[in-house]
Amino acid sequence: MAATLHVVAVGSVDDGKSTLIGRLLHDTGHLRGDEIEAVAEASRKRGRKGIDLALLTDGLRAEREQGITIDVAYRSFDADGRRILLGDAPGHVQYTRNMVTAAAGADAAILLVDAKSGTTPQTRRHLALCAMLGVRDVVACINKIDLVDYSQARFDEIAAELRAAAAAVDGPRITAIPLSALNGVNVVERSPETPWYDGPSVLEVLRDLDQPIVETAFRMPVQWVIRHDDGVNDIRGLAGRIDSGSVSVGDEIIALPSGVTSRIARIEVLGEERAAASAPLSVTLHLEDDVDVARGDVISTVTNAPQVATRFRATVAWLDEQPLTAPMRLEARQGARTVPVIVEELHERLELDTMLQVAADQLDVNDIGIVNVLAASPMVIEPYAISRGMGSLVLIDPATNRTVAAVMVDEVLAGL
Amino acid sequence: MTLLTEVGTLDVLEAEAVHVIRECAAECERPVLLFSGGKDSIVLAHLAVKAFAPAGLPFPLMHVDTGHNFQEVIDYRDQFVARIDERLIVASVQDSIDQGRVQDETGPRASRNRLQTTTLLDAIAEHRFDAAFGGARRDEERSRAKERFFSHRDAFGQWDPRNQRPEPWTIYNTKLKAGEHFRVFPLSNWTEIDIWAYIGREGLSLPSIYFAHQREVFERDGMLLAVDDHIERYSHEQTFTETVRFRTVGDMTCTGSIRSTATTVAEVLAETRASDVSERGASRADDKTSEAAMEDRKRNGYF
Repeated sequence: MAATLHVVAVGSVDDGKSTLIGRLLHDTGHLRGDEIEAVAEASRKRGRKGIDLALLTDGLRAEREQGITIDVAYRSFDADGRRILLGDAPGHVQYTRNMVTAAAGADAAILLVDAKSGTTPQTRRHLALCAMLGVRDVVACINKIDLVDYSQARFDEIAAELRAAAAAVDGPRITAIPLSALNGVNVVERSPETPWYDGPSVLEVLRDLDQPIVETAFRMPVQWVIRHDDGVNDIRGLAGRIDSGSVSVGDEIIALPSGVTSRIARIEVLGEERAAASAPLSVTLHLEDDVDVARGDVISTVTNAPQVATRFRATVAWLDEQPLTAPMRLEARQGARTVPVIVEELHERLELDTMLQVAADQLDVNDIGIVNVLAASPMVIEPYAISRGMGSLVLIDPATNRTVAAVMVDEVLAGL
Repeated sequence: MTLLTEVGTLDVLEAEAVHVIRECAAECERPVLLFSGGKDSIVLAHLAVKAFAPAGLPFPLMHVDTGHNFQEVIDYRDQFVARIDERLIVASVQDSIDQGRVQDETGPRASRNRLQTTTLLDAIAEHRFDAAFGGARRDEERSRAKERFFSHRDAFGQWDPRNQRPEPWTIYNTKLKAGEHFRVFPLSNWTEIDIWAYIGREGLSLPSIYFAHQREVFERDGMLLAVDDHIERYSHEQTFTETVRFRTVGDMTCTGSIRSTATTVAEVLAETRASDVSERGASRADDKTSEAAMEDRKRNGYF
């Protein structure tokens, strides 16, 4: 079982994400008395009956004033020994970019659906975004089930809708749970209010989800070269975080894009000598040969090495107010490299409600589209489906320094 | 293959923090590590040393000294810096007061906690730092839970929480314009328990006031404040001797102690796990002023 599970809570506005997170923290004993008292006080100030647990994660003044989530809040808690890092993502359409940020890198999503209103276009958008970002498991919480008299028929109906929507986007596995976040029904323990439901509680699913897919090919972007002359040896250590796979002393490696090869002489895991190390550890690698390797290079085992390319086709989630039109000059940040790029072509925009690709000449903020990108210098690139690390990048507008897009590589193309 | 060691939660947190520290060192021109002698900044400095060993740190440490710190912490700070053999810059709130940049508060509620912001921003400008590592954690406070790893500050040192840079995956946008800087928080995903567990695992020493000791204190707002020349007491505030320890270490005027008999890391861990009061609730008077006190201070450039 993985030590840490990254989970993102998504769904339409007012479907109860923040309440569920507050409930999870509260019912697992991760809230202290004074934190509960502070939330109770804030609830009274707003004239709410009882404790509004949503006020716990809506930490910004503007969020509490409007009763909505604007930016992602992260909370950590332990589910019977497993660390859960939970991101509470905004539900509003205009904050979709913050939802993309929270879901990128997540292993699983909690998708909240209001039992009364059922699935909405925003529910389907979030499901599609999860599929696109490679979130493999979706815990679908049919929330406010108390407001439909704990109806099994209503639950089954919405669960079927969700499964159909997930299948349409070739998407994640769905575990559907009837829920009342407000009353704590099926949050931590299975509740008597839903005797017809024999599945797990939310906490049980998070605790028991099997290990996220571990990509096996060894990849490590070099972040920093540690130089140290102790009088006897002139040390040259390649410092970085292992992105995927594992490496052992004696392994034949290749540094890309340069293509120089060597063998692993020593592996240090933050001061400790090891015979082998695996993702996601931060390490320092020492090579047998004094070859030229610098920040931004990717170390891989010689077998199963990634591609080096200057052109690729990719799915972009556009995050900036200023729209994307092609061609556009930007900078790509990937691993430990920053490379000037041109978005050469905008092929189409993805209608998330229908999953139809439609012709487009620009992408507005929160739009998803398919583009061709040309890089000024060779990049180590793999499709996102194969390698999250080598297949993901962000685009930065050098004029404003804003992060304008999250990008997933679909296919490596032949260069110019 | 059995050569691989099992990777636990602390290993993952450690790897993440080191990744962030190395990214910042590589991308920013002039980083600095904010070091208070508190447990979080001790863990942070320890991680930074590990990130670049056996070479030295590629950036200095800086302490924003309110002049109202516990002597035990100042002593610890100096010993720590001597031991790791790195450079420490001390930015002094007293200097800011002497230069007329800020005005000292007076009366029993006087605190230099807020004044630190000016001293910090002045020091960042003076040394032309473009990144300041801090030991803040997302579990500390609601607005902290919204922080990015690389938190962008404009030329006025301000945080704009509604317009933060997206950080998908573990890719950080480290671009800055002149005069801007980052606050970088490698410990974002650590909890108070993680910090103590890591201190135990790594065998780190701490300032003695983190462990139970006899101290003359007085009670205010449900907190036990230290009796000291720096804190004016109301006439009704009686002093008494109590066995206490501090859960956080900050400016003396707004840092409360708790009754405790815990003298080892293991005992502190057990006590912290069982406690029904959060770290800030137990020991920080500065957050009790309003619901958004921390957010407001952070917007203006606080740590």
